[in-house]
Amino acid sequence: MAEARKSMIKIKPKKYKVGDTVKVDFIVIHPMDTGMQKDKKTGKIKPAHYIDNITFSFDGKPFTTMKVWESVSTNPYFSVNYKITGKGKITVDYTDNQGEKNSKSKKVKPKG
Amino acid sequence: MERRQFIQGLFAASAVAAVTTPSTLMAEEAKKPAKGPNDMSFDEAVKVITGGKEVKESDKIKLTVPEIAENGAVVPVKVNVDYPMTDKESVTAIHILNTANGNARCVDVMLTPANEKAYFATRVKLSKTQEVVALVALSDGTFIKKGKSVKVTIGGCG
Repeated sequence: MAEARKSMIKIKPKKYKVGDTVKVDFIVIHPMDTGMQKDKKTGKIKPAHYIDNITFSFDGKPFTTMKVWESVSTNPYFSVNYKITGKGKITVDYTDNQGEKNSKSKKVKPKG
Repeated sequence: MERRQFIQGLFAASAVAAVTTPSTLMAEEAKKPAKGPNDMSFDEAVKVITGGKEVKESDKIKLTVPEIAENGAVVPVKVNVDYPMTDKESVTAIHILNTANGNARCVDVMLTPANEKAYFATRVKLSKTQEVVALVALSDGTFIKKGKSVKVTIGGCG
């Protein structure tokens, strides 16, 4: 089940300078099954499958970590603030309770 | 004789009922989906996070949730905390909790001064009409919280 998940990092606003505080949005396509729903086709209870840990880091230095439970919606969305300090790369690493590990990164290019 | 038999019958019937009701109830309970492995009540979750410390209501937290959520599966939650984020004093964690889901914990977010402003947004599932609570841990070891009730028209679990 080690398929690459579709995910996206968005920095808002699109144009920013060094010293600006931006919003870093992270969206990932994930079922987030609670382990209590029934599969409509088979009638069996679907096993729990949800993201449990997320780490936001800038050039390898983590600035926000999250512990996530199954009460978060399908295809979850997380948004945090971050102060731009210079050029670099924002990386989001995430794992789920079935052992999947993925990461997504985006370059940070401040203008001016 | 008829009367005696009738009364005896009554007693027997009630005895049978008394025996059967708990067992049928048990059977019904067994039919419900199994409890989630992470199930935790709201009070327990608060205790685990704060370690039994006092939690004060505070207006420093700005919690944005819809008053009425038509779809309980996707309820946007936004938290802004009016508190400085410096090396000396900062918001160390934002916990998003609910009061009626199987597992009261939604997300625990650990923040650092690099975030500049204590802000977090996500979307959560709510099973029924209940309260969403933002519990914020500050660097001096105190906790503040703010709750808002959300009316859910269609539950988002199951």
